[in-house]
Amino acid sequence: MSLEAFAPSRALSMGVELELQLVGTHDYDLVASAEDLLRMMARSEVPGDVKPEMTCSMIEVSTDVCNDHAAILEQLEALRGALTDAARKLNIGICGGGTHGFQDWTERRIFDQPRFHYLSDLYGYLAKQFTVFGQHVHIGCPGPDVALYLLHGLSRYIPHLIALSASSPYVQGKDTGFQSARLNSVFAFPLSGRAPFVETWRDFESYFSKMSDTGVVNSMKDFYWDIRPKPEYGTIEVRVMDTPLTVRRAAAIAAYIQALARYLMIERPIRLAEDDYLVYTFNRFQACRFGYAGVYVHPETHEHRSVADEIEASFALIEQHAIELGSDGALAELLQDVRSGRNDAAWLRDRHTGGMPLPELVMAQCTRWMGGEAV
Amino acid sequence: MDLLIWPEWPLRFGALFHVAVALVLTALTGEAGRRLGVPRVTGYAVAGLVLGPLLLGWFDASDLASYRSVLDLTLALLLFELGIRLDLRWFAANPWVVATSLAEIALTFILSFGALWAIGTTGGLALAVAAIAVGTSPVIVMHVTSELRAAGQTTDRLLALCALNAACSVILFKLLVGGLHGVHGGWHLALLHPLYLLVGSILAGALIAGAYTALRKVVDPASEQGLVATVALLLAALAVLTALRLPAALAPLIAGALIKWYDPRPHLWPQQFGSVGGVLVIVTFMLAGSAATSGQVFAGVGVALVAIAARVLGKLGGTMAFGPASGLDLRKSLALGVALMPLSVLALLLAEDVRQLYPAFGDRLMPVVLAMTIVLSVLGPIATRWALVRARESRTGETS
Repeated sequence: MSLEAFAPSRALSMGVELELQLVGTHDYDLVASAEDLLRMMARSEVPGDVKPEMTCSMIEVSTDVCNDHAAILEQLEALRGALTDAARKLNIGICGGGTHGFQDWTERRIFDQPRFHYLSDLYGYLAKQFTVFGQHVHIGCPGPDVALYLLHGLSRYIPHLIALSASSPYVQGKDTGFQSARLNSVFAFPLSGRAPFVETWRDFESYFSKMSDTGVVNSMKDFYWDIRPKPEYGTIEVRVMDTPLTVRRAAAIAAYIQALARYLMIERPIRLAEDDYLVYTFNRFQACRFGYAGVYVHPETHEHRSVADEIEASFALIEQHAIELGSDGALAELLQDVRSGRNDAAWLRDRHTGGMPLPELVMAQCTRWMGGEAV
Repeated sequence: MDLLIWPEWPLRFGALFHVAVALVLTALTGEAGRRLGVPRVTGYAVAGLVLGPLLLGWFDASDLASYRSVLDLTLALLLFELGIRLDLRWFAANPWVVATSLAEIALTFILSFGALWAIGTTGGLALAVAAIAVGTSPVIVMHVTSELRAAGQTTDRLLALCALNAACSVILFKLLVGGLHGVHGGWHLALLHPLYLLVGSILAGALIAGAYTALRKVVDPASEQGLVATVALLLAALAVLTALRLPAALAPLIAGALIKWYDPRPHLWPQQFGSVGGVLVIVTFMLAGSAATSGQVFAGVGVALVAIAARVLGKLGGTMAFGPASGLDLRKSLALGVALMPLSVLALLLAEDVRQLYPAFGDRLMPVVLAMTIVLSVLGPIATRWALVRARESRTGETS
């Protein structure tokens, strides 16, 4: 099967997808209510889309293609409002967070759709363990080679995005010590990690056809890369983020990616090299494990700095672009969090180590996500 | 002189030994049921019938009276837990759930009464049986849902509807029986008594809720000492309720709902009050069979079957009519109606109480209620289990 052509899209347009947790309000464990929620949402008029996901305790919401942060936030707020209403009628809670703190993966049920059953048969227990919740951000690219430049350029900012979005310290009732433990589940998949280092779409097509000839993959969907091109949309899709605890933070992170993309596309500040990836998995691990405090090894200078310092430095580089895109306000808030060392993982850990049991913590997550503005 | 230190021959065991053997047999029947793919409660119910006067005669109705406090405690614990799942905020957000409940209660009552009236049952008896038919067994529903680790829309509604119809059944029953016998004590008594029961239960429920909330500030209910404190609280409540001659079932249920309303945090304790709950449920079912004598059962079986048929129609009608508006699809609405089938100890105790107050009426009522509970405590759990598995809400990987 060959790769479809790269459909060009409006440069720097963006779309956001959020995978969300559905929980019962009695015990705050995950509950298989996706079908009921989707049925109820089908009646309401909201922008974007609400779709099923791998297991019946999760749903995915997505915005339409938007131009700026304000539009993304408005659509996410509208989706949040409609979902919250529907959830109240069904007596369930909806929350963000990259993992559910204490769910037992053996109790998950695969959503009744051919693709999910296929994946479940293929991956076995990995599919059920894949009950993790991520934020995906699409950035529009005018052409495929630009897309690949953007993909490799953004790879340097993966640790930044992980530290900013991390919200999965707890897995199966235990503190993992990680800020984003979700990515460890993603890493178990054979085709996860990073895209191959190819700089032109022609090379990418030949890579794809070689992989396709091996019979290992059928479509782009089979790659679980941190960033992957999405030819039918004409976008690249950044997939490393945990779903933040609020839609406000999700929108701010999308705005950060958009500003980074504008900086990379317009200034072309990086000369890409295969060796950039030597430090990639190390940096990625450090950010997952320690968040802002993780070590970031610069791909070119090999200088060791903290992820927080790197994020701060990146904000200086993209400031002008953020102003052009109208997202400087949102990014200022994000930077404030970085300076005070706050992220969602810290928010969760503060509460649990302060004595809040995990079910109550999930309830607090629901209050935070469904409540909207109160961040 | 040595008579008291050496054993007598043949050995004489106290009554406790008898109970112990019966308990083991009941537990084993439950286990056998599990292996056959039927809920354990069905096994317990069958064992209770075998041990009772119907077959072996190890227990009889007098045991039901002497172990009454055990049954009351079991019910109180389970209804308290059920009450906590009764989320009043949900009813405000989705009034169709309440509509479903009212519809299935009203339909069950009207159809049961109508069917019994049509086959020539006297009005008073028909009304009393219809009131009992309204309720679903909380013990069975709680046990089957926890056995399947069921969760989802059908399960949530099943528990809510069960709590509401059980409460409604108790109130209706007391109201009707009081009304029917008002001629003896005057109509003001017939009105005052149910009013006293209702208001008294609400006040008692508020007191229990207050005490539990205060207790929770000191000790975690999910811990061992918290569990003991909760059980002790309900035991004390039962003593007070008995002294006030209030029904043991209503106040704990109301207390649970008030607690969830006041404090929406998850209220979790070891599943089904852990092993304590399990033992109590087994004892309850062991004793439930002790009231059934073959003469009575045969006398009541005809009327009971008619009432059961009408009850099935009422429950299914109510859930099918309003389920979709409340956010269920047709498959789950049907499952919900089927899952509401069980009838058990609560019904039996209601009938037993009436027999204490009005023996003549009680002797006519008891056979019908007995026959109904026998059928629905054996088949009811199977129906509930089937429905929850069909609705795909079991989390233990059970499939039909």
